[in-house]
Amino acid sequence: MIGQTTLLASAFVVPFGMLLLCLWPQILNRMPSLLAFAPIPALAAVLLVATDSSFAIGSARFHLTFAMDRPGAMLLGVSALLWIAAGAYASQYLQNRPNHGRFVVCWLMTLTGCVGVFLAADMVGFYFLLALLTLGACGLVIYHETPSAWRAGAVYIGLALLAEAFLLMAFVLLASEIPGNSLLIRDAAAALPTSPQRDLILALLIAGFGMKAGLVPFHFWMPLAYSAAPTPAAAVLSGAVVKASILGMIRFLPLGTALPDWGTAIAAAGLFAALYGVVIGITQRSPRLVLAYSSVSQMGFIIAIIGMGMLTGDGRAALAAAFYAAHHVLVKGALFLSVGVIAATGSRRLWPMLLPAAIIAVGLGGLPLTGGALAKFVADELLGDSTASTIATLSAIGTTLLMLQFLRHLASTASQDPQATANAGLVWPWLATAAVSLVVPWTLYLTVPRGTLPDPLSAAVLWKALWPVLLGGALAMALWRWWRSMPQIPKGDIIVALDGGVRAAVTWGKALQRTDSVLRQWPAATVSLLILTVALGAAVLAR
Amino acid sequence: MPDANLLPDATTTDGVFLVLAIVLPAAGVLLSFVLGGRYAERIALVLLPSGFILATIILVDVWQSGHRLVYIVGDWKPPLGIALRADGLSAAMMVVMAIVFCAVAIFAYADFGTRAGSAEARAPFAFWILLMAIWGAMNLIFLGGDLFTLYVALELLTFAAVPLVCLDGRAETLQAALRYLIFALLGSILYLVGTALLYGSYATLDIVLLSRQIRAEPATLVAAALMTIGLFAKTALFPLHLWLPPAHAGAPAAASAVLSAVVVKGSFFLVVRLWFDVMPGMLGGAGAQLFGALGAAAIIFGSVVALQQQRLKLLIAYSTVAQIGYLFLIFPLALDAASGQLQGSGALTGGIIQAISHATAKAAMFMAAGLIYAALGHDRIAELGGIARALPMTIFAFALGGVSLIGLPPSGGFLAKWILLEATVATGQWWWALVILAGGLFTSCYMFIVLSRAVAPSGAPLKLKTAVPKYQEAAALALALTSLLLGLVALGPIDIIEVGRPDSIMVGSR
Amino acid sequence: MNAATLFGLCGAALVGLGLYGLVTNPEPLRKILAFNLLGSGVFLVFGVVAKRAAASGLGGDPVPQAMVITAIVVAFAATAMAIALVLRLLQETGRSTLSSDTSAATDTAGADS
Repeated sequence: MIGQTTLLASAFVVPFGMLLLCLWPQILNRMPSLLAFAPIPALAAVLLVATDSSFAIGSARFHLTFAMDRPGAMLLGVSALLWIAAGAYASQYLQNRPNHGRFVVCWLMTLTGCVGVFLAADMVGFYFLLALLTLGACGLVIYHETPSAWRAGAVYIGLALLAEAFLLMAFVLLASEIPGNSLLIRDAAAALPTSPQRDLILALLIAGFGMKAGLVPFHFWMPLAYSAAPTPAAAVLSGAVVKASILGMIRFLPLGTALPDWGTAIAAAGLFAALYGVVIGITQRSPRLVLAYSSVSQMGFIIAIIGMGMLTGDGRAALAAAFYAAHHVLVKGALFLSVGVIAATGSRRLWPMLLPAAIIAVGLGGLPLTGGALAKFVADELLGDSTASTIATLSAIGTTLLMLQFLRHLASTASQDPQATANAGLVWPWLATAAVSLVVPWTLYLTVPRGTLPDPLSAAVLWKALWPVLLGGALAMALWRWWRSMPQIPKGDIIVALDGGVRAAVTWGKALQRTDSVLRQWPAATVSLLILTVALGAAVLAR
Repeated sequence: MPDANLLPDATTTDGVFLVLAIVLPAAGVLLSFVLGGRYAERIALVLLPSGFILATIILVDVWQSGHRLVYIVGDWKPPLGIALRADGLSAAMMVVMAIVFCAVAIFAYADFGTRAGSAEARAPFAFWILLMAIWGAMNLIFLGGDLFTLYVALELLTFAAVPLVCLDGRAETLQAALRYLIFALLGSILYLVGTALLYGSYATLDIVLLSRQIRAEPATLVAAALMTIGLFAKTALFPLHLWLPPAHAGAPAAASAVLSAVVVKGSFFLVVRLWFDVMPGMLGGAGAQLFGALGAAAIIFGSVVALQQQRLKLLIAYSTVAQIGYLFLIFPLALDAASGQLQGSGALTGGIIQAISHATAKAAMFMAAGLIYAALGHDRIAELGGIARALPMTIFAFALGGVSLIGLPPSGGFLAKWILLEATVATGQWWWALVILAGGLFTSCYMFIVLSRAVAPSGAPLKLKTAVPKYQEAAALALALTSLLLGLVALGPIDIIEVGRPDSIMVGSR
Repeated sequence: MNAATLFGLCGAALVGLGLYGLVTNPEPLRKILAFNLLGSGVFLVFGVVAKRAAASGLGGDPVPQAMVITAIVVAFAATAMAIALVLRLLQETGRSTLSSDTSAATDTAGADS
């Protein structure tokens, strides 16, 4: 048991320790080559530690608890795989680039936060690690220090902190609902359905996690951040980091209790985002932006699964959403890495590189036998034969189309030099992630309790997965042939509206400043002193 | 006159430490005047760490015994005599202030130290004496047991703080000091009228005796209102903050750190003493909401104006205006609607942790700003580019201080915010929760602006005016780390603040 | 009207005068004088308090008188310090007005921009 606890703790203590070691410049210089090793304890913990084991730090009355639950373990495991591959990619990526130190520090901060969030079992720890995650991720986004990177970083951290403010309020409300002194997420989720403040808390939770998950209309940070971040960072941000919010939803929302109103609202918002991301994504030209909008769509779909679970009170939604998310971790990570690899590859060697990317990309649309098909199959059980299922099929068609669009733009970004080959240090991590993304969903599927292998391989299921892909492919052909003048939609689409808000805020700020300088005049200040005295006197006399 | 035998107030075993805490700084100031010159610095550098040890002893004593330490001066019992009392609240504040003083002393050694062989100057001499005087005045504020002693302590504090503002003798700092002095005097006169009225009604100013006799009469309530507003003026609570930005932004870095971290907390502490200890049942709903409204206005105005500052030190000064606002939110949150009493747990604990975490964080930030100013020769935010590469430790300290102000875990700011938010939920006053959360967002905005400028590359290669000593950076970083890790006290003895309070019910704040 | 009320009214009048001067006068020296006027008014109130508490047969309660003496010393020290600052300001700038009421507004508006 002690061994298990140690292993569980080492999952985030090791990256955190490495972060502290960065204080020494000599170690910091060597750290890029060690990045791939930091997530290994997390992977080991997932493989070796029994589910539902936990440990606590602190005094008897107040402590931080860490535990491994099933959805958390699933996401942590695949995230650790992605972090390892992306870490290996990053160590190559960082060669001949400035500012190693800052990248490494932000990377380790993000990693610590990411692993910790997956393990945190109480609200304070969850909030702390989420904040650490946000700060580190913001640092990664602005790594290139271009004006657009700064803008992306500002938007990212602004929205993330706003989301955390919502979450903090929700957590405090939840803490007041839990009988006793417990701060455990489990107890909070149990107390939520019967709480008198239920609707307020749910609204705060969904707003907070929705912003972090890029739910439309809070999706605009995703295209900005993922196009600005360095390639390995974009891979882990879009793959692993954003799943923290999904896990938050799974843990906090009362999925075992039927809340039809909320379930419908969440499912509708998620499905809308699933389609919205596809529609806007098709108009984008840069492969990273297409991927970012695909993330908007996929995250929407995962949220829809959770919503359907709430609608029917089906507790299986937790694992289904986690499974779909786990698949998305690997695929999105691999695809972002491929952007970097293809950009360094010339036309001569393009096909061997492009083919794996094509398989996993179309797999996201549900190509049979890939993890994507499996994920959709698992999700389908929850969606049932409702409107939701129809929209899900639409989104599968759209995703196929979007991914083909991505491949087309990806091929066009290949290196000008036909002989160019990407460095092996970039290629291998990418190929490994791609391979893992095909294999791991099947392995995970076997661990999902009610899954049996033959089912997803039946002809009907295969055909159900195949025809949207074929239709998507046909649509793509048609699109490329007949519709040449796509509308230009700026990245982040509705963020344009935000600029107006900023201008209004500046005007208000100036007005407040003028008021302040009037109040700081001597006569004004002394008169307000007298007025306050009278007011306070009146207030206490009238009580 | 109450029967003296009924008073539980008698000098406790370790009461003599309380006298030492006041006599040490006073002796240091007097000795420095006698010996003169460079001895002031040596005396201060010896006495300040011993003050920290002394404060720690008092804290441990209070914690272990579970009741307050008392010393009856000259064995003359109140109401005629003067009592010194240390409860958990004052002991905790003393320790934190001692930490800040020690860090400031280390930091100031670079700017105000007289090296062997160099000529003695007046500014360093004055600085060390004033530092010790502020320390003594603060200890008296924390320990003083009657309202008139506290008045004297408050005046000592002001008289020691004002010259710190204009230590460099420039015209604008002299003006800032003069405004500060006159406005503070106006505040202290109001306080004095209040004490006169209270004495007229109860024939005692001793806190414990008063709290037993206090009645809700017009004279008492008017006195309380006068004293409170006087203290607000000295705390620079919005809209009475006219003196704070120029004074805190103009002073030398070490002085700014003391003024922002320590001095404003003195008068805040008296507001707490007055309403929580002397007359916990007098404030009433309307009064408490007025306190809260002023605090909320301070948070919003201070933060928004800070966002628009072009100079770093002014930005930090306005951030102080905003952070002071949080301290006054505790009044509506601590008010128990059923009994009309201010409760000495929960929100009060949150407010004190906020005061402590702000003290450490803000001192670190002013020190960092001072180092940046020294290195660049200016503190214009728009031109900070490249400084993060030149002074990484300084910027790190600044950022950690900011993390605490924003209220991210595990900082003390987070713990305070959590406790205050819990209190808003418990009392159903959601509007204060909005203010608390919005304040955090504003704070992160201005921190982002400053840090993004600081880490941006500089156009031209950066030439530092002076080399910054490592120990100065270390002092700032140590304070910032203290503030960052303060949240971890939640894992330990957070109840210390409630020890020795009349209404202490050890509920804890989780 | 007994003596205590008369003293009280005098004190109130002084406080009013002092406050008016403190609020409206831009000259620092006059502000300091106004502060002293205000202080004197408050000290008179202390006298009233001492007189009223003297019902127990003594001529007056000694404690408020002790307080007043302390407060007078404090006020004296404050005045001395304020005068020193004004004088120093005069040396530095050649004028002793507290005109920073307006300059303080500009320094936030970006004198350095």
